[in-house]
Amino acid sequence: MKDLKEISTRLEIVKKKIKKNTKNDDGSNAASLGKALKISTELVASVVVGSAIGFLLDNWFGTKPILIILFFFMGVAAGILNVFRAAKKMNKKL
Amino acid sequence: MVTNPMHQFEVYKIGPEINLGGINLSFTNASLFMVISAMLVISILFFGTKKKSLIPSKIQLITEMSYTFVAKMINDTAGSSAKPFFPFIFSLFTFVLFCNMVGMLPYSFTVTSHIIVTFVLASIVFISVTILGFAKHGFRYLELFVPKGVPIVLLPLIIIIEIISYLSRPISLSVRLFANMMAGHTMLKVFGGFVISLGLLGGWLPLGFSVALTGLEILVAFLQAYVFAILTCIYLNDALNLHH
Repeated sequence: MKDLKEISTRLEIVKKKIKKNTKNDDGSNAASLGKALKISTELVASVVVGSAIGFLLDNWFGTKPILIILFFFMGVAAGILNVFRAAKKMNKKL
Repeated sequence: MVTNPMHQFEVYKIGPEINLGGINLSFTNASLFMVISAMLVISILFFGTKKKSLIPSKIQLITEMSYTFVAKMINDTAGSSAKPFFPFIFSLFTFVLFCNMVGMLPYSFTVTSHIIVTFVLASIVFISVTILGFAKHGFRYLELFVPKGVPIVLLPLIIIIEIISYLSRPISLSVRLFANMMAGHTMLKVFGGFVISLGLLGGWLPLGFSVALTGLEILVAFLQAYVFAILTCIYLNDALNLHH
């Protein structure tokens, strides 16, 4: 069991070293980059879905330009809502 | 030789053409690299869990770290009630991660740079989460579209906006992964082409960019797999716990 003891002391030393290093570094760079990438597509996707729904309904009812315009703006609203929610979730975590 | 930056995304079939009822089911290079990624995941997990020693070897360490990483992610975002879905999210995360990482090797093919692949993955998540929500809450799951404290006059408008926002989930999930992977790989190829065309004199600058971009791409490859998994957890949380 001498081997295990040696490893546990080495682990302690390494843990202390890691603690020292992480004090200055907030270490959340990658996570915040992920959030930024997340938000950018959130806005676009809703607009695309809204316009697609408007296009389909227009073809169905034969009311060519009205519904696609209406649903485009609803898609924009949904996109902003999505971004707003994502940002709110981030705020809660901080 | 003219280097076309989009040439790397070409899908071609390997072996004989298989037609089943009018559907082309031939084995392509995309399927080959999916099989390679899945096999890599399975073999790493197999060899990592084969010899369970107290002092872990490197491969065992990787396996255990990936387990705790995903388990912690699920616990933090979806709560302990999402524990039964660990295998689903773990396989999704590792598959996307390995597809992205295998794509970083030279001469390989990036499966996740095709929107159909990412869209199918996102649709699986979307459909299964929706079914789960209805199975767990019945028609009360539709309350997700009705936020609390909204005046009745505005309700029809809000419901439509909420439905659009719900339907946009698989689109945003799939487009994010696909766009990031395709843009990154195209950019790498373009800078690689600059190295060739500028020759010995001017080629050093784009070569340096290429090296830096490769590092960035490896970060993005990991990050996109992580974002994919964490958003799946968030959607699961919506379906399981049903409140905003």
